[in-house]
Amino acid sequence: MSSQINQALPTTRRGFLQLGLMGTATLALGSAVATLTGCTTQLEQGGEYKFLQPNDREFFAALIPAVLNKSFPGELSHDAAMKRTLLALDDLIYTLQYHNRIQMRQLFDALSMAPIRLAAGASWASWKDMSPKQIDDFLVGWRDSSLQMKRMGYVSLSKLIGISWYSQPESFVTTGYPGPPTKIPTPVTPKAKNISAENS
Amino acid sequence: MAEKNFEEVRGITDPILEGISNGWITLDAGEYTENTTLEADVVIIGTGAGGGTTAEILAKAGLKVLLIEEGPLKSTNDFKMDERQAYKDLYQENAGRMNKDGSMSILQGRCVGGTTVINWTSSFRTPEQTLQYWGDNFGTKGVSKDEMAPWFDKMEERLNIAPWAVPANENNAVLSRGADALEIPWKVIPRNVAGCWNLGFCGTGCPTNAKQSMLVTTIPSAMDEGSQLLYSARAERLIMDNNKVTGIEVTALDKGYRPTGVQLTVKATTVVLSAGGINGPAMMLRSEAPDPKGLIGKRTFFHPTTFSFASFEKEINPYYGAPQSIYSDHFQWNSVDGPVGYKLEVPPLHPGLTSVLLMGHGEAQFDELNKLPNLSSMIALLRDGFNDDSVGGSIELADDGSAIIDYPINDYLWEGVKRTHLTMAELQFAAGAKAVRAAHTEAKWETSWEASKAAIDKLSYSASKALVGSAHVMGGLPMGEDLDKCLVDSNGKYHYLDNLYVIDGSIFPTSIGANPQLSIYGMACRLATGLAEKLTA
Repeated sequence: MSSQINQALPTTRRGFLQLGLMGTATLALGSAVATLTGCTTQLEQGGEYKFLQPNDREFFAALIPAVLNKSFPGELSHDAAMKRTLLALDDLIYTLQYHNRIQMRQLFDALSMAPIRLAAGASWASWKDMSPKQIDDFLVGWRDSSLQMKRMGYVSLSKLIGISWYSQPESFVTTGYPGPPTKIPTPVTPKAKNISAENS
Repeated sequence: MAEKNFEEVRGITDPILEGISNGWITLDAGEYTENTTLEADVVIIGTGAGGGTTAEILAKAGLKVLLIEEGPLKSTNDFKMDERQAYKDLYQENAGRMNKDGSMSILQGRCVGGTTVINWTSSFRTPEQTLQYWGDNFGTKGVSKDEMAPWFDKMEERLNIAPWAVPANENNAVLSRGADALEIPWKVIPRNVAGCWNLGFCGTGCPTNAKQSMLVTTIPSAMDEGSQLLYSARAERLIMDNNKVTGIEVTALDKGYRPTGVQLTVKATTVVLSAGGINGPAMMLRSEAPDPKGLIGKRTFFHPTTFSFASFEKEINPYYGAPQSIYSDHFQWNSVDGPVGYKLEVPPLHPGLTSVLLMGHGEAQFDELNKLPNLSSMIALLRDGFNDDSVGGSIELADDGSAIIDYPINDYLWEGVKRTHLTMAELQFAAGAKAVRAAHTEAKWETSWEASKAAIDKLSYSASKALVGSAHVMGGLPMGEDLDKCLVDSNGKYHYLDNLYVIDGSIFPTSIGANPQLSIYGMACRLATGLAEKLTA
């Protein structure tokens, strides 16, 4: 399990930790705390998620309906669609290479801390307690920000959520995509010489 | 209501599984439980356009070849036209690869067969202007248009490359119709396919074996000659002794692309690096390979690619049919080394990828995706690397040794990005679009070319506002005889190591100015043929 912990710990102050430096000295302190503690929740051991921790999942659970709007939950129940999207997100982020994975870790950690969240343009309230309007305001604020770091955060989060959901067949009904043809694989047949070899 | 173009795909054999059942030597590095040493005459790192082509030529010359591939071995029976499965199995970083500042998305293959398994089959010879520019500026020798022609002839025959003879799908027809209306010349794209069903799923691994990727052509041919294929194996670093490479340290990977803890060593008398313009330079940096001028990983190029969306009254069904069949080079060569030129093409729009390209959220994005059957897109591929302000990106190493692609989009490129948005919007309206939106977070849907033009003029161009992507990776280990600029000689040999050859897109001193696969095939055919002659002399 040590590899799971290693890949979840931030090892650098670059990137999204700068979010904490955009505010007051208090927030800079908050950023330092985030750096030192790695993240604000206990890391799960051996769960079904390889990267996303409970706090991260709470964050995404708030964002997913806001990003996907009426396409969510498609043909699935709300809970099933949420689980499917979270697992797809987890798999995708886990497969990112080190630099981008660390950027994501820092982003999630920073946004899980109320003071940094507030400085970054979101609500002091925890993600699960925010209204849809508050979440949309946060997304629009980041999208239209003059800071490249926030715009990158917006684009990353919306892209990750979009591809994780719209690739699911149960979302096709919301796009009008009729879906791919059904592939019927052909079983492997040993070549003639092998058959004759067996027979001889 | 849109309907499926085919209900099912059946009756297709799987040449890889057949080959394995007939005794091919395929080795899953993830299954090794202890450190092991493997040996060959030639080890080839990478199995894409460069490595695949090289493997067939060397194996047929009688050399004992071992191919190393970082990705998994997937084949026809695995290709189910499912975006989820394809991105996870066949793409670098689950199709989420980005440059350092997140301003560009990069689609690149990671599987046996490399990007040739997931590309959209467009096959262009290296433009004459590009070859000329290399000769003039980098001292490449033996790669003029006439000298390269026989190698392109050979690979076009090998991979059945010919202009697409079937009418373009509606998505591509938008480009030809708009171009006709504006009296802009366009052409039909040559494709590497044999018996193509016109399904539209080149990007998720060809389900019918029609695409003549390395996976169904040169690799099976090399395997039939007794080559060995080691997959789920990352070439970590070269083992060097003075000016010779004596072997390669290889990290075995599990199904989640994490090291299993087992290290393999591959010993060979000759090493060919065919790992592409990101992972190749990164491996050379990890190896601390000799590089007196500090050139490794500099001048890595994409074709930074911009997008424009159009909606039509009639159904476009942009996910079906040959994904790319029409192009225009009208804006490509007005000046070789002046303001950036660009090639116009069309991308397929499957829903997962499209949600990424639309770069939005909430109700506005839902309204766009909700009309996917009526959506069309055009792309412009910027030709980077032909101007002093056009220096591409550079490869750095992260703390764990993996590649970071530092590729900022500078003002030279932004000026071009804006021009491409104007060009594409004009073409889309000329083709009958009822509304057009540049792929830019500030852009709204506009209903006339005049309104669109005025709106694009007001957009601000900076990172993570305009969508920029790339599916083409080139450069990083440039070829030429000018030692101040180049790392690899005109025969593909690394200038500073006696038995290391680089045969892939990383040796291109600039971007190509066209989808690069045939440029890689032709160059690889030339270099590998020369290498085979040398090694068997």
